[in-house]
Amino acid sequence: MMQAVVCSKCNGDPRGSRSCNQCKGAGIGIQSEEGFLVWATEINEVSSALRKLRIKVNAIVHLALMTVIVLCLIAFFASVIPNYTIEDVQTWLFWTSGHWFVTVFYVAIVLTAYFVFRMNEFTAQAKDLPGWMEHTTYHVQRTTPDQGGERGTKYVVRGTSFEVSPFFSPQAIEVVEAAYKLAKDLGRVEVTPEILFAAVLSSHDGALFMVRIGVSFEKIKEPLVRLMMRASAGVPPIAFSRESKRVLVAAYALADETHRKHVTPMEIFLQAFQESEKLQELLDDLGFPFSHVSHVAQWVLLQSKLREDQERFVSLARLKPKSVMNRAMTARQTSLLDRFSEDLTLLARQGYLAPMVGNQNVMEELLRGLESGQQGVVLVGETGTGKAAVVEQLARRMVEEDVPEILFDKRLVSVNLAQVVAAGEPGLAAERLLSMLHEVAMSGNIVLALYGVEALVGFGSGPMDLAETLASEMDKGYCLVIATATPQAWTQYLERRSLGKKLVKVVVPPADTDQTISVLMVKSGGIEYQNKVFFSYAALEKAASLASRYLHDVAAPQNALNVIREAAVAVRKTKGEQAFVSAEDVAKIVHDKTNIPVEMVTHEESKQLMNLEARMHGRIIGQDEAVVSVARAIRRARAELREGKRPIANFLFLGPTGVGKTECAKTLAQEYFGDETAMVRLDMSEYQDQASIAKMIGAAGDERGGLLTEAVRKKPFTIVLLDEIEKAHSEILNLFLQVMDDGRLTDGVGRTIDFTNTIVIMTSNAGTAFIQSAMSEGQSIERIKTALLERELKSVFRPEFLNRFDGVVVFKPLTRDEVVQIAWLMLNQIGKRLELKGFKFRAEDKIVEDLADAGFDPQFGARPMRRVIQDRVETPLADLLLQNQASRRDTIVLGDHGELRVEKAGEI
Amino acid sequence: MLQSTTSLTKLLFVDLIGSVAWFPIWWYTKGLKKMIQWCIEGLNYRVKQYAFAIWLKNFFVPMYGQYDWQGRLVSIFMRAVVIIGRVIALVVEAIVYVVLVMLWALVPPFAFILALQNIFLGRV
Repeated sequence: MMQAVVCSKCNGDPRGSRSCNQCKGAGIGIQSEEGFLVWATEINEVSSALRKLRIKVNAIVHLALMTVIVLCLIAFFASVIPNYTIEDVQTWLFWTSGHWFVTVFYVAIVLTAYFVFRMNEFTAQAKDLPGWMEHTTYHVQRTTPDQGGERGTKYVVRGTSFEVSPFFSPQAIEVVEAAYKLAKDLGRVEVTPEILFAAVLSSHDGALFMVRIGVSFEKIKEPLVRLMMRASAGVPPIAFSRESKRVLVAAYALADETHRKHVTPMEIFLQAFQESEKLQELLDDLGFPFSHVSHVAQWVLLQSKLREDQERFVSLARLKPKSVMNRAMTARQTSLLDRFSEDLTLLARQGYLAPMVGNQNVMEELLRGLESGQQGVVLVGETGTGKAAVVEQLARRMVEEDVPEILFDKRLVSVNLAQVVAAGEPGLAAERLLSMLHEVAMSGNIVLALYGVEALVGFGSGPMDLAETLASEMDKGYCLVIATATPQAWTQYLERRSLGKKLVKVVVPPADTDQTISVLMVKSGGIEYQNKVFFSYAALEKAASLASRYLHDVAAPQNALNVIREAAVAVRKTKGEQAFVSAEDVAKIVHDKTNIPVEMVTHEESKQLMNLEARMHGRIIGQDEAVVSVARAIRRARAELREGKRPIANFLFLGPTGVGKTECAKTLAQEYFGDETAMVRLDMSEYQDQASIAKMIGAAGDERGGLLTEAVRKKPFTIVLLDEIEKAHSEILNLFLQVMDDGRLTDGVGRTIDFTNTIVIMTSNAGTAFIQSAMSEGQSIERIKTALLERELKSVFRPEFLNRFDGVVVFKPLTRDEVVQIAWLMLNQIGKRLELKGFKFRAEDKIVEDLADAGFDPQFGARPMRRVIQDRVETPLADLLLQNQASRRDTIVLGDHGELRVEKAGEI
Repeated sequence: MLQSTTSLTKLLFVDLIGSVAWFPIWWYTKGLKKMIQWCIEGLNYRVKQYAFAIWLKNFFVPMYGQYDWQGRLVSIFMRAVVIIGRVIALVVEAIVYVVLVMLWALVPPFAFILALQNIFLGRV
C-alpha cells in the first residue's frame, strides 16, 4: 500500500482539519504528482439520498426539456411550411414581426443551449483519471488533471489537496454509501476498512469476486459481522475512520497507477483487504491466504481493465492506415509478398490479436535489439512459451505507434515460410524469396516476422540455402526481421550460421506459475464465453501448477491453457452450461491425460492408501520390509509432502535374483501410476563403457536423444528401473547422482529432462553372498543392512551415491514356505485366466509343494518357478483345451501327481 | 429528520433554480472553454491525420517507391501539392471551427433578445 501520511498542517486533528486548506478536513492523505490526495467528501444519508434523487430529477428534467424543444420545433415548422414561402422566411421582418411560432423557435434555441449545459454539467458519471489514455512506455505525456474538466476542480499544485471522490465510478460511490448505511445499521459510529470491504461484497464486482473465489456469502457473513462490530459503537454522526480514508485514497492511487478510467469497487476492495490484518486472518481461516484473495481480486479487476484497454486501443488505432500504404506514402504495392504473408498490424488494427500478458522484459529486449542497429532479432523459446504472443503484441504496439522511431509508420508482416518453400524446386523458392525481399526493399515500410525461421535452413542448392540468401540480403540493411525458433532449432540450425550471427537472440522463458496464472486470467474470459461456464480461481491455480509439474510436451503457459480449455468443454458437457469449473475438474483432465492420480485424496482412496501394504502383499510374497518402505514412499507422494525438487523416491533394492525385486517395482507402477508398464527399464550390463552414456542420454546434434532421457521426456511419470546397477560405468553413476539430488538431467541435445515425477529404483546383486550367509546364520535384516552399507557395498558404490537413496531395501532370500505361496499365487493367476474362458480350476496341495520344490533354486530364487509351471501345468493344460476335453462350467483339477483331470459340471 | 428534509429541499431548490442562474455564466466560461477545447482537439486530430510532420520529413523521398529521377520529380511536386492542399483544408476546417465558436457565443443571447423583442414589441 502506498505511504499515507497525516496532514502536516492540521496534524489530522478532526477539529482543526475542518478548515485546513491542505487536507480539506480529511486529516490524512497520500502525496502524489497530482497533489495531496484526500477523501474529504462527506457521506451520510442526506448526501446519498440526495445523490440518488438528483439522478432521478435530472433524468426527468432532461426528458421534459427534450420534449419541449421538440414540440417547439414541430410547432414552428408546422406553422411555417404551409403558410410561408422561402422568400418570406428570408426577410428580416419575418423574424422580428412577433409571430408566436417564431418566438417559440427562439425559445427552442435557448432551451437547447440550456440542455447542452445540463448534459455537460449534470450527467457526467465520474471524471476520467489522469493516467487514463496514457501510453505505458513511450512518449509519456502527463496531462494535468483538469484537462477533462467536468466538475470544476482548480488547477492543482503539488502540496495542495486533491479530492479523489469525483474520480470514483457511480458503483464505487454506491459502495462508499453502502458502507455508511452498513455502519448505521450495525450501530457503529465509524466506517472501518472492514465495513468498506463488506460493502464491496454487496456490489456487482463483489459478487463476481465471491464466485471466483468459490465461497458462499453465508459462510463469510458471520465472522465478517463480528469483525465489523469491533468498530466503536454509539450514536451518529457516523464518520469515516482514518484507516478507511486511507483505503479510499489508496484506491485512487492504485487505479491511477494501473491506468484505469475510474476508481471501481475492486480497488477499494483490494486496499481495504490490504489495510486490515483482521480481514486477512479471517479469509486465511476459511482457507484463502493473502495471495489467493489478492489474486482473485486482481482477476476481477483485470477483466474490467481489459475492456477499458480495448477502448483505448481502438481510439489510438484510428490513425493507423487500413491498407499496405504507410502514412508517408513511400510504400508500394507488394503483390507477391501479400500472397505469401499476413499483415499482423492490419489484423491487430481490426482487433484480431489479443494483448500479451507478462513477458515485458522480452518485449523490451526485443525493441532494444531492433534499435541496436542489427538487422533482426530472433525469439528463442520452447513451443508454448508465447513467442507468437510477443510478436503479436509488437503488432499491437505498432498500431498504437507506441514504438521506437525505427518501427514508426511501418507494418509487421508475417511470412508463411512453409508456403514459400513449398515451391518444390529449390531454385524457385529462392527466386520467390528474393522477389519478396525486393518488394520489401522497394516498399521500405515492412518489418518481416518469420515464425520458425529454421524452415529456411538446408533448402536450396548446396551451401547456399534460403537461410544464407536471407542473411546476405539482410546485410544490405533495407528491412528488419523478427524471427522465432525453438532452442533445439537454434542450437542445431542457426547459431553457428551466418543467419544466426545476424540476429540478436532474445530468450523467451517459459512462464512461471504466477505468470501462467495471469495469462489464464486474461484468456479465461474468452473460454468462459465460448463454453458458457465459469472458472473458479482455484481451477486456474490448479491448472497452472499441475501443468508445470506434469505436462511437459508443451511449455507454460500454453500447457495450462490447453488444460483449462479442455476442462471447460468437459464441464459444459457433463454439468451443463452456467456450471463452475472447479480445481477437481481441472485435476481430472490432467489425470486423464497422464494417468497420474493428481486429484485431492478422497476418503475412499485414503483408506486404500492406508491398506496399501496388504494389497501389495497380494502380489509380493514375504519381503515385509521392502513393501513397507515402498508403501510409505507412495503415501508421502500422494499427500504431497515430498520436496518438489527430487524424484518421488529413490530406492536401492538389494538381494539375490528371483526374490521379487522386479515384481515390487511393477506393483509400484500399478499402484501409483495406474499401469504396470509405466516403467523405463534399463539393464546396466549394457552400459558398461563410457561410450554407452551417449546411448543413455543422447549425443550432441542427434535429435533422437537418449534411450532414458527420451523415454522420461515423453512420459515423465514413470518408474525408472535400472537393473544390476553395479555393472554400470562409474560415469553413469555420477549422472544419477544429479538425478537423485536435483530431479533433472540434461540430455545430449541440451534439453533439461525433468525427473521429479519419476520413482528411481536401482537393483543390485552386490552383497548377495553376504546376505545369504548372514540370513542362514539367522541375523536380523537391520544388522544385515548396516553391515552391507558399512562394509560390503563400500567397495562397489561410493558413499555419496549410497547416501542419496531414500531407502536401501534388502530383499531376503526366499524360504521354502514363501516359494510354496508363490506357486499358489501363480496357479491362482492361471485359474483367473481359465475363469475368463468359463472353466473352473483347482490344484491339490501336494502337487503345489512338488512344484515349489522343483521351481526353487537357492541361487535363482523363485525364478525357475515360472518355467516349471509352464512346463508342467500350462503346456498340458493347453493340450487339454485344444482337444476339447473340457467344456464350459467344468472344473479342471491339477491332481497330486501333476495329472490334469476334468470334473464335469452337472446338467442345468 | 426535519433538518434533513429541509436541507434536502433546499439543496434541490438550489440545484434546479441555481442551475438556471449558473447556466449563462457556465456558457461563457467553462462551456466556452470546453467548446474551444473540442475544436482544438478536432484540429489536432486532423493535423495528426494529415501527418504533416511525416510528409515534410519524407519530402524528398519518392512516393510509391519510384526511385528513378522522373519518379522523384513527380513525387516532390505531388508532395508539395498535397501538403498545400491539406493546409488549405485545415485552414477551412479551422475557419469552420471559429464560426462554430462564434455561433456558440452569439446565438443564445441573440435568440433570447429576439424572443423578447418578438413578445413585447411584435408587429412593429
